[in-house]
Amino acid sequence: MTDILSFTRNRCTSVEVIDDQTIRSFCRLQDTLTEAFVEITAQLPDLEITAVEGDIQRTHRKECLDSTEFLQKVRGVRIGPGMLEIIKGLLEETTECKELIFMLQECCHGVILSLTKDILLKAPEDQEGKIEFFSKMVRNNIRLYNRCAAFAPGSRLVEGLDPS
Amino acid sequence: MLKFSRNKLVSIARKDPDTLRIHGVLDDDLYGLEMEILVRLSDLKLISVSGKWNRWTTPECPKALSFLGIAVGFCIDEEGLEQKIQKTIGRRACRHFATLLIECCDSVKEVVRIIQWEEFRIKHPGLTFEEFLSGLSPDSSGSDTTRHVSMESDRIQDSQEPIQVLERIREVDSVPDRALGGMVIDLHTHSYPASSCSSVSEDQLIEESKRIGLDGICLTDHNYVWNPDRVKNLTQKHGFLVLRGNEITTDQGHMLVFGLDLDIREKGIIKLDELRREVKKADGYMIVVHPFRGFLTFGVERLGLNLEKAMKRPLFKYVDAIEVMNGKVTREENDFASRVADGLGLSGIGGSDAHKASEVGLYATRFQNSIVDEKDMIEMLKRGKFSPVAFRKRNKGILKKNRTATT
Repeated sequence: MTDILSFTRNRCTSVEVIDDQTIRSFCRLQDTLTEAFVEITAQLPDLEITAVEGDIQRTHRKECLDSTEFLQKVRGVRIGPGMLEIIKGLLEETTECKELIFMLQECCHGVILSLTKDILLKAPEDQEGKIEFFSKMVRNNIRLYNRCAAFAPGSRLVEGLDPS
Repeated sequence: MLKFSRNKLVSIARKDPDTLRIHGVLDDDLYGLEMEILVRLSDLKLISVSGKWNRWTTPECPKALSFLGIAVGFCIDEEGLEQKIQKTIGRRACRHFATLLIECCDSVKEVVRIIQWEEFRIKHPGLTFEEFLSGLSPDSSGSDTTRHVSMESDRIQDSQEPIQVLERIREVDSVPDRALGGMVIDLHTHSYPASSCSSVSEDQLIEESKRIGLDGICLTDHNYVWNPDRVKNLTQKHGFLVLRGNEITTDQGHMLVFGLDLDIREKGIIKLDELRREVKKADGYMIVVHPFRGFLTFGVERLGLNLEKAMKRPLFKYVDAIEVMNGKVTREENDFASRVADGLGLSGIGGSDAHKASEVGLYATRFQNSIVDEKDMIEMLKRGKFSPVAFRKRNKGILKKNRTATT
């Protein structure tokens, strides 16, 4: 067997600030079998999806060859906790094209990560400072506790937190 | 200028006739990580999973690497693979590794089609990929497995692996609620199996409610209509008031609905205005729950959502009350909901949003009058004869910091 690839995939999600109230998020997929894009616009402060468009330019999936008008159903949905359930629920009854639904979700995650970046930019550079910073983050939002290895019991970031 | 960018790259090569080698890379403004995975083609099982951090955020992120091996043995074709990866790798290791692993596994599904076509072409030279796909059954041209599930939602909890939830307990009023008369009922709870995200049965929930001194409990499972006779039987069986409601997912978030027997599962995600019409028709009552639940690393104030803007959210036109004490959100988020309720002149309720026995009664609602059944409760709700309360008392107060010395 040679090292020649059988398959490659490149998925890029980008977030742009249009103005102080508007964020645009764009997801593009290019792989051996599929090429597609989805773009959303969200309005602060509610992160309400105000515009959405998407298209599949290349695919082997018959269910993705139909019109992408169904994407408009998510207009008015707020990006936030529970959004994936809402998006899936609104769209799965209209389309079987799971790829576009996934890319819409990726756009939403991109928005959240872009806002998370602003918070994380405030973390100190030194190790002790970072531990203090992230420990405080968990204490301020207990939903983070045990969400991943970094915030699991035994981690320095949750030292002293009493789970009982 | 871009504010944020994430790239995911997956490369797949054939290591040997029965093995695929997958290399995945995730690079974004915050994280840089890679994964190397081997998949056996004969049974599509992951036989090796390893990872590497290039860039991370917290000092403890590197710990995630030791948990990646959990995925060994997973099968590409198994039902609910993505959810399984989120629950295991996502929770035990890191959600970003989980995201990349899901991307790699989905790519494997695609490459399997290509391999099948290539093998078919040996006997049928000149057969195009499209012709090959057309010759398959209608189901095989697309993936039937559930693709993606809520990563932000609190509903993803594994009942086999209880996740410890650290409760931030507020100081409570010195006057016990009982001294004020009336009845204290937890209006917002979840039981298994009606809510798959809960890890407590309705019987256990009820017994715990009795133990801590609540006067009643509402079973409000996700998009689930409790049979009224079954709930009456629970009341009789336990000698304890059990009422029913429904936490319904709408396009504008979750609503607690009482007095409506409509099974929403048939409708999928219902629009809020449509639900409002149904609730009104049924003479029921609707409450928006955790309306300002924020994100893991930042709250809604980060988005510039102030009181005035929050009050203008259209959804508040459709609800009868707001949940201002919810056991699963931060104190700040509850306080904000309370200020919005005050500003709009809407009543506030309290509910634990319990998914475990130990969570029930954290917050509840005190009704001024006695309630014997669902009709009574809806009547009291409509008359506004209630208030939210912090009910479950703990000896331990604010979280204590007890760090060991570091060298």
